[in-house]
Amino acid sequence: MNFGFDEDQKSLGDTVAQMLGDFPALTAPDPADARDAAVWSGLAELGLFALLVPEEHGGAGLALVDVALAVEALGAGLAPFTVATTLIATDLIVRYGTDRQKSAWLPRIAAGQLRIAVAMLEQGRGYDPADVETSVSGNMIGGRKILVPDAVDADLFLTLALVDAEPALVMVERNARGVALRPHADIDPSSGFCELILEGASLTDCAIIGHKFSDAPVQRLIDLGAALHAGMMMGIAARMLDTSVDYARTRVQFGQPIGAFQSIKHRCADMAVAVEAGRSAAYYAVWAVSEDAPDHARASSMAKAYCGEIARRACNEAIQIHGGMGFTWELGLHRFLRRSKVIEHAFGDEAWHYERVIADTLAGQANASDHGRAAA
Amino acid sequence: MDFTYTPAEEAFRSSLRAWLVDALPQGWGESVFEPEDEDERAMFRLDWERKLHAGGWSGINWPTEYGGRGATLVERAIFAEEMARARAPEGINIIGHNLAGPTILRHGTQAQKKRFLPPIIASQEVWCQGFSEPNAGSDLASVRTRAQRRGDKFIVNGQKIWTSFAQYSHWCFALVRTDPDAPKHKGLSFLLIDMKSPGISIRPLRQISGECEFNETFFDDVEVPAENIVGDVNDGWRIAMTTLAYERGPEDGLARQVRFKQELDKLLGMLDTQAGHHRSIDNAAIRQKLARSITEVEVMRLNALRTFSKYLNGEDRGPDASIIKLYWSHAAQNMYENAMDALGPTAPIAGGDPLSAAGGRFQLSYLQSKAFTIYSGSSEIQRNIIGERMLGLPR
Repeated sequence: MNFGFDEDQKSLGDTVAQMLGDFPALTAPDPADARDAAVWSGLAELGLFALLVPEEHGGAGLALVDVALAVEALGAGLAPFTVATTLIATDLIVRYGTDRQKSAWLPRIAAGQLRIAVAMLEQGRGYDPADVETSVSGNMIGGRKILVPDAVDADLFLTLALVDAEPALVMVERNARGVALRPHADIDPSSGFCELILEGASLTDCAIIGHKFSDAPVQRLIDLGAALHAGMMMGIAARMLDTSVDYARTRVQFGQPIGAFQSIKHRCADMAVAVEAGRSAAYYAVWAVSEDAPDHARASSMAKAYCGEIARRACNEAIQIHGGMGFTWELGLHRFLRRSKVIEHAFGDEAWHYERVIADTLAGQANASDHGRAAA
Repeated sequence: MDFTYTPAEEAFRSSLRAWLVDALPQGWGESVFEPEDEDERAMFRLDWERKLHAGGWSGINWPTEYGGRGATLVERAIFAEEMARARAPEGINIIGHNLAGPTILRHGTQAQKKRFLPPIIASQEVWCQGFSEPNAGSDLASVRTRAQRRGDKFIVNGQKIWTSFAQYSHWCFALVRTDPDAPKHKGLSFLLIDMKSPGISIRPLRQISGECEFNETFFDDVEVPAENIVGDVNDGWRIAMTTLAYERGPEDGLARQVRFKQELDKLLGMLDTQAGHHRSIDNAAIRQKLARSITEVEVMRLNALRTFSKYLNGEDRGPDASIIKLYWSHAAQNMYENAMDALGPTAPIAGGDPLSAAGGRFQLSYLQSKAFTIYSGSSEIQRNIIGERMLGLPR
């Protein structure tokens, strides 16, 4: 038992954080300026996309938990969404892909040549993966997906769709016939959200991922998405804490730094406690999903719901502690507020995940008492 | 990161689990519960601690030379998990095990360790804590209880307050003033006081729960042998900080998490087996609240494990203890608020009424939980510590 990261894992996190720090546009006040193609190539040169790819396909063969701190850094640095979603897709292809799919995609992923966006949500529907209309018939897919992040830059869309009336994961190529994008007007323009319009879009004959594994790939997409997005929100929350503490140390009012006032100091302390608590939840969730531990679905739902609340509060507190400056466009705190809110609603929101937690817990209790009776 | 266990750790777990099956009364937690009377319950808990000791399950990670098991912090965490799983009773010598023991182990002389540690582990000697005074609460360093050196003794005069378990205790560790002229943090000493000494009297204080777990303790010319000082004269503040680090630390947090998890499981089991058309467990708002508490109780455990891992990887105990304590105290209070919400219309019905849910334990715990954010350093003090010592904010 060791609930800590090793030196390699920490150093990867630091390296990603530093690299993202070299692109000030990412966190600059104007979200419209935040998209910089060099970020992707920088991360690719770093080898980030090769980490989860097995060695036989040109990667490093690492586990998801090895990139947990790097993912936190992606959150803190407001990195493009496709970085995380490409890592998520990599895990799914490695785990459920056919040999042909693996050879087609993994070497290109490892080389940083494939950006994979995830398309799950539909207008008027919830987060339940079965609650979709988009469907595959023959070698065509039809439907409309909303809030697909970084869609304009994506090469592939990992799309949740019905195949034989069951939810499944389908890879749609950006350049396929019948694929169109409509950019959304949304609260975080740096997220690159689009509506993905599939009108009899053509699929290759190896588009469906892991169909023979029943609903496991879809479930894993949700768990992976929840755990990694929880991690990214902790990156944002921790950055808001650091920013607030730095400001409270230096901003002087009434003749002293405002951090000397307990009204500010105690807010910062509560944020610090929340950041540590959220990290415990997020790190454990990433480990549980990485190792496919029996409680991985519950752990990832706990983390997604809980870290969402923590990140939301951290952004709010940071703005409050910065006072009038906090509300200015030019200070840029709104970038974290916007991104955090967007992540909160991706891969299941708080209410959806908490419902999963309580349902899973009650089912577990019923099982345990059945076992108890059987043993007695 | 690795949450799997070595074969030795798994063996530790299975032997503890087997031992617990034999040691707990038949029907424990189903039809057999702790005595309702406060004194009887205290004696029941003391018996349970002694039974744990007889089975070799006390002082889990203490050195074997003082009667401990010499196990690791990981095994200590396994111990907590198994106690939760078996719904095992609490102990009463919590202050001995969690505060007096670690402080003496860290700062005591060889003679003090030999004298005091084995009877703590065996729960032959129960301890209480003499820190707070009527005028020294959050401002602990302003304690006024005086200890004057006379020959080979200290003569102690003064009053301590909120002394939990004083009525059952054989020993008390106390923070006393040995130099009234020095700056307030520099005139304090840490004494070990025999509760049988002439001149000690205790008066029970009734708490908002109606119980009398804590007391006022009066010292009237109490003689304490000079060798019962821990550390040097006037170095008591430093020693007390060690005590507080343990009082707020992950071992304590994990032991409490066990209780909270037991109670939450009990609540969920009860709500889920209720009959009727308007069950609160089917109410979406209640389900959200319960799910959040399930999450927070799990995070308490994860926080403790993360901090254990830091210690195992060589990091020092620091202000992170305040994070542990501030977190569990508020999360647990919130959990009991949620429990009352989930009980619905019958929430006010307490123990003693035939219609009470689970013997009224949730109502009692709800009231008791109000102390969590006050004792062992109020939340405001913990926030000062975190803000100043961890985040580096100005005083």
